[in-house]
Amino acid sequence: MTATIAELITVETVTDVAGEVWSAMVGADEVLVPDGGSAPAGTSAWVTVTGPWNGAVVLTCSPSATDDLTRAVLQLRPDEEPEAEDVDDVLRELANILGGNVKSLLPGPSVLGLPETGTPPPARPGSSTVAVSWRGHPIAITVQGATEAPELTTTEVPL
Amino acid sequence: MKILVADDSRVMRQIVIRTLRQAGYDDVDVVEAVDGKDALEKVAEESPDLVLSDWNMPEMTGIECLRALRAQGSAVPFGFVTSEGSPEMRETASEAGALFLIAKPFTADTFRDQLDGVLA
Repeated sequence: MTATIAELITVETVTDVAGEVWSAMVGADEVLVPDGGSAPAGTSAWVTVTGPWNGAVVLTCSPSATDDLTRAVLQLRPDEEPEAEDVDDVLRELANILGGNVKSLLPGPSVLGLPETGTPPPARPGSSTVAVSWRGHPIAITVQGATEAPELTTTEVPL
Repeated sequence: MKILVADDSRVMRQIVIRTLRQAGYDDVDVVEAVDGKDALEKVAEESPDLVLSDWNMPEMTGIECLRALRAQGSAVPFGFVTSEGSPEMRETASEAGALFLIAKPFTADTFRDQLDGVLA
């Protein structure tokens, strides 16, 4: 008997993980409000998971969210313009932490890839997407199965 | 007192350093390394009192760095700060000689809990 990824990692689980990550990394008083929508168009960062389940955990932020998110994580002044490199780094690291926490809930030993930004890998049908609003900005976290086993982008030795 | 912070993410190094300050370690010198290979070299150059390292990094992972250090005879106190905290990883880290594994996301309290005994 097998379970789908949506059964293993429920929307509620992803919501809880994202809330903890936001609270610790973005700010103790920062909340993610479920908005029931789909993933917004915008910038994506993700990590792949390779093991008994192959897929990716993808963070997608609307264009309006990325600069505010970077300012919050790096504790910059509201008028400070974050550098593009820092924006990418913040998104990658948030995706990395989200992916690491999701990975820890999956059965069996798995390997996490290095975080990337750009166009996420293609997804198999049946992904779990959590759409939320942060300070009014649409954000989504998607746990998606891979259409094929991803190439390892890590030097990590499997456990 | 000197701490080496190894992470391929500059943002995460900054957050780890900020959390160290928030946890009360205001007077420690911090040296940064961009991956495990860089950390291995900087342990030899800087003789830190503690290494705080990410696990998954390009060039050389944190666990490879720790094993290389121990193979060279270095007994530098070493702890992981990583996005993954599965029981298997904690066991692997411990077997390689790590003192602790802090899973991200973390708080200043988490740092105090793990570091106070090491830096006392």
